[in-house]
Amino acid sequence: MTRDRLRVLAWQLLILVVVLGGWQYLTGLKAVSKTPGLYWIDPFFISRPSAIAERFVYLMSPSVRLTIWQMALSTVQSTVWGFLVGISTGFAAGLLLGRSDGLARVFEPYIVAFNSLPRIALVPLITMIFGFGLLAKIVLAWSIVFFIVFFNTFQGARSVDADLIHSARFLGASERQIMTSVIVPSALAWTFASLTPSISFALIGVVVGEFIGGESGGGLGYLIIQSLGTLNAADMMVALFVLGVIGIVMALGIKQVEARLLRWRPEYQKR
Amino acid sequence: MTPRARVSIRGLAKTFGQGSREVPAVSAVSFDVHEREFVAIVGPSGCGKSTILNMIGGLIAPSGGEILVDGQRVTGAPPSQIGYVFQKDTVFPWRTVERNIALGLEYRNVPAEERTARVRKAIALAGLQGFEEAFPATLSGGMRQRVALMRSLVVDPEILLMDEPFGALDTHTKLDLHAELLSLWEAKRQTVIFVTHDLSEAITLADRVVVMTRRPGRIKLLHDVKLPRPRDVIRIRETDDYSREYQQIWHTLGEEFRAPP
Repeated sequence: MTRDRLRVLAWQLLILVVVLGGWQYLTGLKAVSKTPGLYWIDPFFISRPSAIAERFVYLMSPSVRLTIWQMALSTVQSTVWGFLVGISTGFAAGLLLGRSDGLARVFEPYIVAFNSLPRIALVPLITMIFGFGLLAKIVLAWSIVFFIVFFNTFQGARSVDADLIHSARFLGASERQIMTSVIVPSALAWTFASLTPSISFALIGVVVGEFIGGESGGGLGYLIIQSLGTLNAADMMVALFVLGVIGIVMALGIKQVEARLLRWRPEYQKR
Repeated sequence: MTPRARVSIRGLAKTFGQGSREVPAVSAVSFDVHEREFVAIVGPSGCGKSTILNMIGGLIAPSGGEILVDGQRVTGAPPSQIGYVFQKDTVFPWRTVERNIALGLEYRNVPAEERTARVRKAIALAGLQGFEEAFPATLSGGMRQRVALMRSLVVDPEILLMDEPFGALDTHTKLDLHAELLSLWEAKRQTVIFVTHDLSEAITLADRVVVMTRRPGRIKLLHDVKLPRPRDVIRIRETDDYSREYQQIWHTLGEEFRAPP
């Protein structure tokens, strides 16, 4: 590790310690000494690190009905499935419409209309159709990811360099070979640009689905909404913390896949 | 016996746009390119020389006249015996050097073993050893154009169309590639049509130079280059014969460059 990276890391750790320490300290200060329940900053609303850690440990114990791991797993599962199905269908549709002017012209108004719908507004309908379980959450994540990936792939498929297609044709490529060797790889570069936002939006979709999905859907969104019912800020913070970790891990995973599949791009070339 | 014409261009015309915005690009162009012949088309920019090449390749349709390749009229699809090298960088950025050169062989379902052998040979011929696994983003413009050239040549096209392939390169790299192209061509003697705006490039490489007028492009002059082969691309420029050829054509071409647009 270079000195520069060490310095950055040191600063990052310092900020973390200051924020957590400050949080813990300030939420412990009484407003009027010895009067219970009166704080400068009331931990009732934002909890305190020590209380969050306590609840975290408690939620890990097998004695609770739904452990934090089960809930995290449910959220991750729905997100990953929604994400994968969203990418593959969005990519296929983007490619198809991107390479066919006729289809693109016919479908354009419908796609624009559907995409401008706030996806959150669909949640009750999706729940009505698909129930409260995993499937509804997957469908919700899919409906968001699909359009992000679709629009990017569509752009990518439209902007394939015509001279690359021509040169493939001169080298004897059939239409199918042009599709697999020219159009798909050039469009993929665009598709990848949409993956990082897609995963965050998939996670948003899933959590919103869990808000109204109830216990059968499980998940961290359920923990949050349940904690709202019991006015338990510590549990909410636990859920938020786990969601943050999930988001980071997924984003890093995508970066890895991207660096591998787009290794031909100048920004990934080690000279 | 006159050698047989591989490419015949008869009364070729092309206009772009429609109605009152119609712009004639090429008009009344006729010439033959024979077996094993290296023909260069030179002219001021915008004279339609690349348009002619695109029509021969079947990329765009002529507005008038016809093009025959081996007696077959070109319509739409590129004739299979033609290879094409573009001015623009058309190396696939997501494929390594090796896999770029292998493209045509993959498309033609050449068995893997033979493919590897032919690609190896092409890489050696182009002096690209050590860069087999490199992605184009890490190569210089000259090396990328070498890859593009070998990618076209590895499938053994009988007719090679080249559209200012070295136009974007610096003089030094250009001369290197001229030498390389000539030695490859001496070995195979493909029929070549080479478009350029660089007269010295045309004379160095070609057997015959087609000089075009300004837009709309017509043939101004068909000139046989009487320089012996094999040619040394650097030394040949110092010979009197070369200067004579150059001046003869420059005289005609110069009128076109000087004429007000």
